[in-house]
Amino acid sequence: MLRLEGVSAGYGPAPVVQGVDLAVERGECVALLGPNGAGKSTLMSAITGTIEHRSGRIVFDGDDLALLPSHRIVARGVALVPEGRRVFAPLAVEDNLRLGAVRLRGGAAALAERFAFVYRFLPRLAERRTQAAGTLSGGEQQMLAIGRALMSAPRLLLLDEPFLGLAPLVVAEIRRTLERLRETGLTLLVVEQKLDIALPFASRAYVLIKGRIALHDSTERIAQREDLTNLYFALAAAHA
Amino acid sequence: MRDLLELAVSASATGCVYALLALAYLVMIRPTGIINFAVGEWAMVGAFGAFLAVTKVELPYPVGVAAVLACMFVVGWATERIAVRPLVRAGAPLLAPILALLGMLVVFRESVALAFGPDPYPVPYPLGFGRLELGPLAGSYQSFFIIGTTLATFALAWLFFERTLAGKCFAAVAIDRRAAALVGIDRTRVAALSFAAGAVIAALAGLLVGPNVSAHYLMGVPLAIQGFTALVIGGVGRVEGALLGGLLLAFAEQLTARYAPLPPGYAQGVPLALLMLFLLVRPTGLLAERGARA
Repeated sequence: MLRLEGVSAGYGPAPVVQGVDLAVERGECVALLGPNGAGKSTLMSAITGTIEHRSGRIVFDGDDLALLPSHRIVARGVALVPEGRRVFAPLAVEDNLRLGAVRLRGGAAALAERFAFVYRFLPRLAERRTQAAGTLSGGEQQMLAIGRALMSAPRLLLLDEPFLGLAPLVVAEIRRTLERLRETGLTLLVVEQKLDIALPFASRAYVLIKGRIALHDSTERIAQREDLTNLYFALAAAHA
Repeated sequence: MRDLLELAVSASATGCVYALLALAYLVMIRPTGIINFAVGEWAMVGAFGAFLAVTKVELPYPVGVAAVLACMFVVGWATERIAVRPLVRAGAPLLAPILALLGMLVVFRESVALAFGPDPYPVPYPLGFGRLELGPLAGSYQSFFIIGTTLATFALAWLFFERTLAGKCFAAVAIDRRAAALVGIDRTRVAALSFAAGAVIAALAGLLVGPNVSAHYLMGVPLAIQGFTALVIGGVGRVEGALLGGLLLAFAEQLTARYAPLPPGYAQGVPLALLMLFLLVRPTGLLAERGARA
Protein backbone atom coordinates (compact mmCIF):
# COMPACT_ATOMS: atom_id res chain seq x y z
CA MET A 1 0.00 0.00 0.00
CA LEU A 2 2.79 2.39 1.00
CA ARG A 3 6.30 1.88 -0.28
CA LEU A 4 9.25 4.16 0.39
CA GLU A 5 12.25 3.76 -1.90
CA GLY A 6 15.46 5.60 -1.13
CA VAL A 7 13.72 8.43 0.64
CA SER A 8 15.86 11.30 1.90
CA ALA A 9 14.47 14.39 3.57
CA GLY A 10 15.59 17.35 5.62
CA TYR A 11 14.97 20.96 6.54
CA GLY A 12 17.96 22.22 4.59
CA PRO A 13 20.37 20.83 2.03
CA ALA A 14 21.74 18.34 4.59
CA PRO A 15 19.28 15.44 4.89
CA VAL A 16 18.03 14.25 8.29
CA VAL A 17 16.88 10.89 6.96
CA GLN A 18 18.74 9.17 4.16
CA GLY A 19 17.96 6.35 1.77
CA VAL A 20 15.02 4.96 3.70
CA ASP A 21 13.25 1.89 2.28
CA LEU A 22 10.05 0.94 4.04
CA ALA A 23 6.81 -0.82 3.14
CA VAL A 24 3.40 -1.07 4.75
CA GLU A 25 0.84 -3.56 3.42
CA ARG A 26 -2.89 -3.00 3.41
CA GLY A 27 -4.55 -3.71 6.78
CA GLU A 28 -1.21 -4.02 8.51
CA CYS A 29 0.02 -2.21 11.61
CA VAL A 30 3.69 -1.31 11.40
CA ALA A 31 5.79 0.39 14.07
CA LEU A 32 8.60 2.81 13.33
CA LEU A 33 10.96 2.78 16.29
CA GLY A 34 13.98 4.81 17.10
CA PRO A 35 15.60 7.00 19.71
CA ASN A 36 15.11 10.74 20.00
CA GLY A 37 16.42 12.65 17.01
CA ALA A 38 16.65 9.62 14.74
CA GLY A 39 14.51 11.35 12.11
CA LYS A 40 11.18 9.59 12.69
CA SER A 41 9.13 12.80 12.58
CA THR A 42 11.11 14.02 9.59
CA LEU A 43 10.13 10.85 7.77
CA MET A 44 6.46 11.49 8.65
CA SER A 45 6.83 15.03 7.25
CA ALA A 46 8.27 13.59 4.05
CA ILE A 47 5.34 11.20 3.62
CA THR A 48 2.79 13.98 4.25
CA GLY A 49 4.58 16.54 2.08
CA THR A 50 5.14 19.02 4.90
CA ILE A 51 8.88 19.38 4.53
CA GLU A 52 10.84 21.49 2.06
CA HIS A 53 13.42 18.99 0.90
CA ARG A 54 12.51 15.43 0.03
CA SER A 55 13.71 13.03 -2.61
CA GLY A 56 13.25 9.37 -3.51
CA ARG A 57 9.96 7.63 -4.23
CA ILE A 58 7.00 7.49 -1.84
CA VAL A 59 4.49 5.30 -3.61
CA PHE A 60 0.98 5.08 -2.18
CA ASP A 61 -1.51 3.00 -4.17
CA GLY A 62 0.35 3.80 -7.38
CA ASP A 63 0.77 7.55 -6.84
CA ASP A 64 4.15 9.06 -6.03
CA LEU A 65 3.42 11.24 -2.99
CA ALA A 66 6.84 12.88 -3.27
CA LEU A 67 5.48 14.83 -6.24
CA LEU A 68 2.31 16.04 -4.51
CA PRO A 69 1.64 19.00 -2.18
CA SER A 70 0.35 18.21 1.31
CA HIS A 71 -3.34 18.89 0.64
CA ARG A 72 -3.36 16.47 -2.30
CA ILE A 73 -1.75 13.79 -0.13
CA VAL A 74 -4.56 14.14 2.42
CA ALA A 75 -7.07 13.85 -0.41
CA ARG A 76 -5.37 10.60 -1.55
CA GLY A 77 -6.11 9.04 1.84
CA VAL A 78 -3.07 9.54 4.05
CA ALA A 79 -3.51 11.37 7.36
CA LEU A 80 -0.98 12.11 10.08
CA VAL A 81 -1.65 12.58 13.78
CA PRO A 82 1.29 14.89 14.44
CA GLU A 83 3.69 14.77 17.35
CA GLY A 84 2.51 17.07 20.14
CA ARG A 85 -1.12 16.74 18.95
CA ARG A 86 -1.33 20.27 17.49
CA VAL A 87 -5.08 20.71 17.87
CA PHE A 88 -6.50 24.14 16.99
CA ALA A 89 -6.70 25.26 20.61
CA PRO A 90 -9.04 28.28 20.34
CA LEU A 91 -11.56 26.44 18.16
CA ALA A 92 -14.30 24.14 19.39
CA VAL A 93 -13.86 20.35 19.25
CA GLU A 94 -16.48 20.17 16.53
CA ASP A 95 -14.69 22.84 14.44
CA ASN A 96 -11.42 20.94 14.80
CA LEU A 97 -13.11 17.82 13.47
CA ARG A 98 -14.82 19.75 10.68
CA LEU A 99 -11.44 21.10 9.58
CA GLY A 100 -10.14 17.55 9.48
CA ALA A 101 -12.68 16.93 6.72
CA VAL A 102 -11.76 19.79 4.37
CA ARG A 103 -10.56 17.23 1.80
CA LEU A 104 -13.43 14.80 2.37
CA ARG A 105 -15.48 14.11 -0.74
CA GLY A 106 -19.12 13.11 -0.88
CA GLY A 107 -20.96 16.12 0.51
CA ALA A 108 -23.13 16.38 3.61
CA ALA A 109 -23.92 12.67 3.82
CA ALA A 110 -20.25 11.66 3.86
CA LEU A 111 -19.54 14.34 6.44
CA ALA A 112 -22.33 13.18 8.76
CA GLU A 113 -21.12 9.60 8.38
CA ARG A 114 -17.57 10.67 9.32
CA PHE A 115 -18.74 12.56 12.42
CA ALA A 116 -20.78 9.51 13.49
CA PHE A 117 -17.74 7.26 12.91
CA VAL A 118 -15.40 9.44 14.95
CA TYR A 119 -17.88 9.94 17.79
CA ARG A 120 -18.47 6.17 17.90
CA PHE A 121 -14.77 5.41 18.30
CA LEU A 122 -14.01 8.43 20.50
CA PRO A 123 -17.22 9.07 22.45
CA ARG A 124 -15.44 11.49 24.77
CA LEU A 125 -15.23 13.94 21.86
CA ALA A 126 -19.00 13.91 21.42
CA GLU A 127 -19.42 14.95 25.05
CA ARG A 128 -16.98 17.83 24.57
CA ARG A 129 -18.25 18.87 21.15
CA THR A 130 -18.71 22.58 21.91
CA GLN A 131 -15.69 23.00 24.19
CA ALA A 132 -12.57 24.82 22.98
CA ALA A 133 -9.90 22.26 22.15
CA GLY A 134 -7.37 24.07 24.35
CA THR A 135 -9.45 23.35 27.46
CA LEU A 136 -9.29 19.56 27.00
CA SER A 137 -6.96 17.31 28.98
CA GLY A 138 -3.85 15.97 27.28
CA GLY A 139 -5.44 12.60 26.63
CA GLU A 140 -8.57 14.17 25.20
CA GLN A 141 -6.47 16.40 22.96
CA GLN A 142 -4.71 13.30 21.67
CA MET A 143 -8.09 11.71 20.96
CA LEU A 144 -9.13 14.90 19.18
CA ALA A 145 -5.96 14.83 17.07
CA ILE A 146 -6.75 11.23 16.12
CA GLY A 147 -10.40 12.10 15.46
CA ARG A 148 -9.39 15.05 13.31
CA ALA A 149 -7.14 12.84 11.20
CA LEU A 150 -9.91 10.25 10.85
CA MET A 151 -12.31 12.89 9.53
CA SER A 152 -10.55 12.84 6.16
CA ALA A 153 -11.50 9.15 5.80
CA PRO A 154 -7.87 8.02 5.49
CA ARG A 155 -6.89 4.56 4.30
CA LEU A 156 -3.49 4.94 5.92
CA LEU A 157 -3.23 6.57 9.34
CA LEU A 158 0.19 7.75 10.52
CA LEU A 159 0.62 8.41 14.23
CA ASP A 160 3.67 10.24 15.57
CA GLU A 161 4.29 9.32 19.21
CA PRO A 162 0.60 9.25 20.14
CA PHE A 163 1.28 8.09 23.71
CA LEU A 164 3.85 10.70 24.63
CA GLY A 165 3.29 12.30 28.03
CA LEU A 166 0.04 10.50 28.78
CA ALA A 167 -1.00 8.64 31.94
CA PRO A 168 -0.95 4.82 31.70
CA LEU A 169 -4.75 4.58 31.85
CA VAL A 170 -5.10 7.00 28.95
CA VAL A 171 -2.39 5.15 27.01
CA ALA A 172 -4.38 1.95 27.45
CA GLU A 173 -7.58 3.63 26.31
CA ILE A 174 -6.00 5.09 23.17
CA ARG A 175 -4.31 1.79 22.41
CA ARG A 176 -7.69 0.04 22.60
CA THR A 177 -9.14 2.64 20.25
CA LEU A 178 -6.33 2.08 17.76
CA GLU A 179 -6.82 -1.65 17.98
CA ARG A 180 -10.52 -1.29 17.20
CA LEU A 181 -9.68 1.01 14.30
CA ARG A 182 -7.30 -1.57 12.92
CA GLU A 183 -10.08 -4.15 13.08
CA THR A 184 -12.07 -1.95 10.70
CA GLY A 185 -9.32 -2.53 8.15
CA LEU A 186 -7.49 0.75 8.64
CA THR A 187 -3.76 0.55 7.93
CA LEU A 188 -1.54 2.03 10.65
CA LEU A 189 2.03 3.23 10.80
CA VAL A 190 2.92 4.20 14.38
CA VAL A 191 6.04 6.06 15.41
CA GLU A 192 7.30 5.18 18.88
CA GLN A 193 10.39 5.30 21.04
CA LYS A 194 9.50 2.36 23.25
CA LEU A 195 8.34 -0.93 21.83
CA ASP A 196 6.52 -2.17 24.93
CA ILE A 197 4.24 0.83 25.04
CA ALA A 198 4.19 0.93 21.29
CA LEU A 199 2.21 -1.82 19.97
CA PRO A 200 1.68 -5.30 21.02
CA PHE A 201 -0.51 -5.54 17.95
CA ALA A 202 2.05 -4.25 15.46
CA SER A 203 3.17 -7.02 13.19
CA ARG A 204 6.48 -5.61 12.02
CA ALA A 205 8.80 -2.86 13.11
CA TYR A 206 11.49 -0.75 11.51
CA VAL A 207 14.20 0.76 13.66
CA LEU A 208 15.50 4.12 12.53
CA ILE A 209 18.91 5.17 13.81
CA LYS A 210 20.61 8.40 12.77
CA GLY A 211 18.36 8.82 9.77
CA ARG A 212 18.80 5.30 8.38
CA ILE A 213 16.86 2.08 8.78
CA ALA A 214 19.13 -0.02 10.98
CA LEU A 215 16.86 -2.98 11.54
CA HIS A 216 13.65 -4.43 10.16
CA ASP A 217 12.00 -7.45 11.73
CA SER A 218 8.78 -8.85 13.16
CA THR A 219 7.84 -7.26 16.46
CA GLU A 220 7.98 -10.64 18.15
CA ARG A 221 11.60 -11.14 17.31
CA ILE A 222 12.52 -7.57 18.20
CA ALA A 223 10.78 -7.98 21.55
CA GLN A 224 12.83 -11.11 22.25
CA ARG A 225 16.03 -9.19 21.89
CA GLU A 226 17.52 -7.41 24.83
CA ASP A 227 15.89 -4.23 25.95
CA LEU A 228 15.47 -1.65 23.27
CA THR A 229 17.64 1.06 24.77
CA ASN A 230 20.62 -1.28 24.56
CA LEU A 231 19.58 -2.26 21.08
CA TYR A 232 19.48 1.39 19.99
CA PHE A 233 22.85 1.87 21.57
CA ALA A 234 24.36 -1.15 19.85
CA LEU A 235 22.88 -0.24 16.49
CA ALA A 236 24.04 3.35 16.79
CA ALA A 237 27.55 2.14 17.57
CA ALA A 238 27.46 -0.21 14.59
CA HIS A 239 26.50 2.65 12.28
CA ALA A 240 28.87 5.24 13.67
CA MET B 1 -22.77 69.23 23.62
CA ARG B 2 -24.06 69.63 20.06
CA ASP B 3 -20.52 70.26 19.08
CA LEU B 4 -19.39 67.06 20.74
CA LEU B 5 -22.10 64.98 19.07
CA GLU B 6 -21.25 66.37 15.68
CA LEU B 7 -17.63 65.60 16.31
CA ALA B 8 -18.67 62.09 17.30
CA VAL B 9 -20.17 61.48 13.86
CA SER B 10 -17.18 62.73 11.93
CA ALA B 11 -14.74 60.96 14.27
CA SER B 12 -16.69 57.71 13.85
CA ALA B 13 -16.51 58.07 10.08
CA THR B 14 -12.76 58.68 10.18
CA GLY B 15 -12.37 55.84 12.66
CA CYS B 16 -14.25 53.54 10.30
CA VAL B 17 -11.75 54.28 7.52
CA TYR B 18 -8.88 53.47 9.89
CA ALA B 19 -10.73 50.35 10.97
CA LEU B 20 -11.07 49.14 7.38
CA LEU B 21 -7.34 49.65 6.82
CA ALA B 22 -6.60 47.79 10.05
CA LEU B 23 -8.87 44.99 8.84
CA ALA B 24 -6.96 44.87 5.55
CA TYR B 25 -3.71 44.42 7.48
CA LEU B 26 -5.35 41.85 9.72
CA VAL B 27 -6.74 39.52 7.04
CA MET B 28 -3.24 39.27 5.56
CA ILE B 29 -1.20 39.07 8.75
CA ARG B 30 -3.33 36.40 10.43
CA PRO B 31 -2.76 33.53 8.01
CA THR B 32 0.62 34.57 6.59
CA GLY B 33 2.37 36.43 9.41
CA ILE B 34 3.26 39.10 6.85
CA ILE B 35 2.64 42.77 7.49
CA ASN B 36 1.95 44.50 4.20
CA PHE B 37 2.34 48.28 4.31
CA ALA B 38 1.09 48.57 0.74
CA VAL B 39 -2.48 48.81 2.11
CA GLY B 40 -2.12 52.61 2.06
CA GLU B 41 -1.22 52.53 -1.64
CA TRP B 42 -4.04 50.11 -2.33
CA ALA B 43 -6.42 52.61 -0.71
CA MET B 44 -4.93 55.31 -2.94
CA VAL B 45 -5.41 53.12 -6.02
CA GLY B 46 -9.00 52.50 -4.91
CA ALA B 47 -9.67 56.24 -4.72
CA PHE B 48 -8.21 56.75 -8.20
CA GLY B 49 -10.23 53.79 -9.42
CA ALA B 50 -13.44 55.43 -8.18
CA PHE B 51 -12.44 58.64 -9.96
CA LEU B 52 -11.82 56.73 -13.20
CA ALA B 53 -14.83 54.43 -13.10
CA VAL B 54 -17.46 56.82 -11.81
CA THR B 55 -16.28 60.34 -12.75
CA LYS B 56 -14.44 59.62 -16.00
CA VAL B 57 -16.26 56.62 -17.47
CA GLU B 58 -19.53 57.65 -15.76
CA LEU B 59 -20.54 54.20 -14.59
CA PRO B 60 -23.30 54.24 -11.96
CA TYR B 61 -21.70 54.37 -8.50
CA PRO B 62 -22.45 50.77 -7.39
CA VAL B 63 -21.30 49.35 -10.72
CA GLY B 64 -18.15 51.47 -10.75
CA VAL B 65 -17.29 50.48 -7.19
CA ALA B 66 -17.90 46.81 -7.92
CA ALA B 67 -15.59 47.05 -10.95
CA VAL B 68 -12.86 48.75 -8.91
CA LEU B 69 -13.09 46.18 -6.11
CA ALA B 70 -13.02 43.29 -8.60
CA CYS B 71 -9.85 44.73 -10.14
CA MET B 72 -8.31 45.13 -6.69
CA PHE B 73 -9.07 41.49 -5.91
CA VAL B 74 -6.91 40.57 -8.89
CA VAL B 75 -4.24 43.11 -7.89
CA GLY B 76 -4.03 41.63 -4.38
CA TRP B 77 -3.91 38.09 -5.72
CA ALA B 78 -1.17 39.00 -8.18
CA THR B 79 0.81 40.83 -5.50
CA GLU B 80 0.94 37.67 -3.41
CA ARG B 81 1.98 35.62 -6.44
CA ILE B 82 4.73 38.04 -7.44
CA ALA B 83 6.12 39.46 -4.21
CA VAL B 84 5.39 36.82 -1.58
CA ARG B 85 5.05 33.29 -2.88
CA PRO B 86 8.41 32.90 -4.66
CA LEU B 87 10.20 34.05 -1.50
CA VAL B 88 8.18 31.83 0.84
CA ARG B 89 8.72 28.86 -1.47
CA ALA B 90 12.46 29.48 -1.49
CA GLY B 91 12.39 29.28 2.31
CA ALA B 92 13.31 32.95 2.86
CA PRO B 93 12.71 34.47 6.32
CA LEU B 94 9.47 36.45 6.76
CA LEU B 95 11.31 39.74 6.50
CA ALA B 96 12.03 39.07 2.81
CA PRO B 97 8.43 39.26 1.54
CA ILE B 98 7.79 42.23 3.85
CA LEU B 99 10.63 44.10 2.15
CA ALA B 100 9.50 42.97 -1.29
CA LEU B 101 6.06 44.37 -0.49
CA LEU B 102 7.62 47.70 0.48
CA GLY B 103 9.09 47.64 -3.01
CA MET B 104 5.65 46.93 -4.47
CA LEU B 105 4.35 49.91 -2.51
CA VAL B 106 6.75 52.19 -4.38
CA VAL B 107 5.75 50.57 -7.68
CA PHE B 108 2.07 51.28 -6.98
CA ARG B 109 2.70 54.87 -5.94
CA GLU B 110 5.02 55.76 -8.80
CA SER B 111 2.79 54.14 -11.41
CA VAL B 112 -0.07 56.35 -10.26
CA ALA B 113 2.21 59.39 -10.13
CA LEU B 114 3.31 58.69 -13.73
CA ALA B 115 -0.23 58.20 -14.95
CA PHE B 116 -1.94 61.06 -13.13
CA GLY B 117 0.76 63.50 -12.13
CA PRO B 118 0.84 65.34 -8.81
CA ASP B 119 -2.61 66.97 -8.99
CA PRO B 120 -5.50 65.85 -6.79
CA TYR B 121 -8.55 64.35 -8.51
CA PRO B 122 -12.12 64.57 -7.23
CA VAL B 123 -13.63 61.30 -6.06
CA PRO B 124 -17.42 61.10 -6.42
CA TYR B 125 -19.82 61.21 -3.48
CA PRO B 126 -22.24 58.31 -3.78
CA LEU B 127 -25.10 60.20 -2.13
CA GLY B 128 -24.22 63.73 -3.21
CA PHE B 129 -23.13 66.38 -0.79
CA GLY B 130 -25.42 67.21 2.07
CA ARG B 131 -26.09 67.17 5.77
CA LEU B 132 -28.11 64.60 7.59
CA GLU B 133 -29.55 64.98 11.09
CA LEU B 134 -30.57 61.88 12.99
CA GLY B 135 -31.93 63.18 16.26
CA PRO B 136 -29.02 64.80 18.06
CA LEU B 137 -26.48 63.28 15.66
CA ALA B 138 -25.59 65.30 12.62
CA GLY B 139 -23.02 64.92 9.89
CA SER B 140 -22.41 64.78 6.17
CA TYR B 141 -24.07 62.15 4.02
CA GLN B 142 -20.64 60.76 3.36
CA SER B 143 -19.94 60.29 7.08
CA PHE B 144 -23.06 58.20 7.49
CA PHE B 145 -22.32 56.32 4.29
CA ILE B 146 -18.83 55.46 5.53
CA ILE B 147 -20.15 54.28 8.90
CA GLY B 148 -22.86 52.14 7.32
CA THR B 149 -20.55 50.56 4.73
CA THR B 150 -17.88 49.84 7.31
CA LEU B 151 -20.29 48.21 9.73
CA ALA B 152 -21.63 46.05 6.90
CA THR B 153 -18.08 45.06 5.91
CA PHE B 154 -17.20 44.11 9.47
CA ALA B 155 -20.42 42.14 9.81
CA LEU B 156 -19.52 40.21 6.67
CA ALA B 157 -15.96 39.64 7.86
CA TRP B 158 -17.24 38.41 11.21
CA LEU B 159 -19.71 36.04 9.55
CA PHE B 160 -16.95 34.77 7.27
CA PHE B 161 -14.58 33.96 10.13
CA GLU B 162 -17.17 32.62 12.58
CA ARG B 163 -19.67 30.86 10.37
CA THR B 164 -18.04 29.57 7.20
CA LEU B 165 -15.66 26.68 6.61
CA ALA B 166 -13.40 28.90 4.50
CA GLY B 167 -13.20 31.32 7.44
CA LYS B 168 -12.34 28.46 9.78
CA CYS B 169 -9.58 27.44 7.38
CA PHE B 170 -8.17 30.98 7.60
CA ALA B 171 -8.27 30.71 11.39
CA ALA B 172 -6.64 27.27 11.31
CA VAL B 173 -3.74 28.54 9.20
CA ALA B 174 -3.37 31.49 11.58
CA ILE B 175 -3.32 29.22 14.64
CA ASP B 176 -0.97 26.49 13.41
CA ARG B 177 0.33 26.43 9.85
CA ARG B 178 1.70 22.92 10.01
CA ALA B 179 -1.46 21.42 11.50
CA ALA B 180 -3.49 23.27 8.87
CA ALA B 181 -1.38 21.73 6.11
CA LEU B 182 -1.76 18.29 7.69
CA VAL B 183 -5.58 18.41 7.63
CA GLY B 184 -5.35 19.28 3.95
CA ILE B 185 -5.77 23.04 3.80
CA ASP B 186 -3.99 24.53 0.78
CA ARG B 187 -1.98 27.25 2.48
CA THR B 188 -0.83 28.90 -0.72
CA ARG B 189 -4.45 29.39 -1.71
CA VAL B 190 -5.33 30.84 1.70
CA ALA B 191 -2.38 33.24 1.43
CA ALA B 192 -3.37 34.40 -2.08
CA LEU B 193 -6.99 34.86 -1.01
CA SER B 194 -5.98 36.80 2.09
CA PHE B 195 -4.01 39.24 -0.07
CA ALA B 196 -6.89 39.56 -2.51
CA ALA B 197 -9.29 40.30 0.37
CA GLY B 198 -6.81 42.74 1.90
CA ALA B 199 -6.59 44.66 -1.38
CA VAL B 200 -10.38 44.83 -1.71
CA ILE B 201 -10.86 46.08 1.85
CA ALA B 202 -8.06 48.65 1.55
CA ALA B 203 -9.45 49.93 -1.76
CA LEU B 204 -12.88 50.21 -0.17
CA ALA B 205 -11.37 52.39 2.56
CA GLY B 206 -9.72 54.53 -0.12
CA LEU B 207 -12.81 55.14 -2.16
CA LEU B 208 -14.82 55.89 0.98
CA VAL B 209 -12.38 58.49 2.28
CA GLY B 210 -11.62 59.75 -1.25
CA PRO B 211 -14.43 62.30 -1.58
CA ASN B 212 -13.27 64.06 1.59
CA VAL B 213 -9.58 64.26 0.74
CA SER B 214 -9.48 63.87 -3.09
CA ALA B 215 -7.40 61.23 -4.81
CA HIS B 216 -3.73 62.08 -4.68
CA TYR B 217 -0.71 59.89 -5.27
CA LEU B 218 0.67 60.61 -1.80
CA MET B 219 -2.54 59.93 0.12
CA GLY B 220 -1.52 56.37 0.97
CA VAL B 221 1.26 56.98 3.49
CA PRO B 222 -0.80 58.57 6.29
CA LEU B 223 -3.54 55.99 5.73
CA ALA B 224 -1.02 53.15 6.06
CA ILE B 225 0.29 54.60 9.32
CA GLN B 226 -3.13 55.25 10.81
CA GLY B 227 -4.43 51.83 9.82
CA PHE B 228 -1.34 50.21 11.32
CA THR B 229 -1.79 52.19 14.55
CA ALA B 230 -5.44 51.13 14.73
CA LEU B 231 -4.32 47.52 14.27
CA VAL B 232 -1.76 47.80 17.07
CA ILE B 233 -4.33 49.38 19.39
CA GLY B 234 -6.99 46.78 18.70
CA GLY B 235 -4.72 43.74 18.41
CA VAL B 236 -4.30 41.35 15.50
CA GLY B 237 -6.15 38.52 17.19
CA ARG B 238 -9.72 39.43 16.35
CA VAL B 239 -11.73 41.24 13.72
CA GLU B 240 -13.56 43.37 16.30
CA GLY B 241 -10.19 44.65 17.48
CA ALA B 242 -9.62 46.45 14.18
CA LEU B 243 -12.92 48.30 14.50
CA LEU B 244 -12.30 49.22 18.12
CA GLY B 245 -8.74 50.35 17.36
CA GLY B 246 -9.84 52.51 14.43
CA LEU B 247 -12.57 54.25 16.41
CA LEU B 248 -10.36 54.84 19.46
CA LEU B 249 -7.63 56.32 17.31
CA ALA B 250 -9.96 58.69 15.44
CA PHE B 251 -11.64 59.89 18.65
CA ALA B 252 -8.28 60.47 20.32
CA GLU B 253 -7.12 62.44 17.29
CA GLN B 254 -10.20 64.60 16.92
CA LEU B 255 -10.80 65.22 20.62
CA THR B 256 -7.23 66.44 21.08
CA ALA B 257 -7.44 68.59 17.96
CA ARG B 258 -10.70 70.11 19.18
CA TYR B 259 -10.30 70.48 22.92
CA ALA B 260 -6.67 70.08 23.96
CA PRO B 261 -4.75 73.32 24.34
CA LEU B 262 -2.12 72.25 21.81
CA PRO B 263 -0.88 74.13 18.77
CA PRO B 264 -2.76 72.79 15.73
CA GLY B 265 0.10 70.83 14.19
CA TYR B 266 0.69 68.78 17.31
CA ALA B 267 -2.59 66.88 17.06
CA GLN B 268 -1.07 65.01 14.13
CA GLY B 269 1.34 63.43 16.57
CA VAL B 270 -1.49 61.66 18.38
CA PRO B 271 -1.49 58.47 16.29
CA LEU B 272 2.26 58.11 16.58
CA ALA B 273 2.15 58.76 20.33
CA LEU B 274 -0.57 56.12 20.69
CA LEU B 275 1.38 53.72 18.49
CA MET B 276 4.46 54.05 20.71
CA LEU B 277 2.42 53.81 23.88
CA PHE B 278 0.72 50.59 22.81
CA LEU B 279 3.89 48.98 21.49
CA LEU B 280 5.54 49.69 24.84
CA VAL B 281 2.70 48.89 27.22
CA ARG B 282 0.37 46.48 25.50
CA PRO B 283 1.88 45.11 22.29
CA THR B 284 -0.87 42.50 21.96
CA GLY B 285 -3.53 45.19 21.58
CA LEU B 286 -6.74 45.60 23.52
CA LEU B 287 -8.53 42.48 22.36
CA ALA B 288 -6.48 39.34 22.82
CA GLU B 289 -7.06 36.29 20.71
CA ARG B 290 -9.64 33.98 22.23
CA GLY B 291 -8.12 31.02 24.03
CA ALA B 292 -4.72 31.92 22.62
CA ARG B 293 -1.71 30.29 24.13
CA ALA B 294 0.86 32.64 25.53
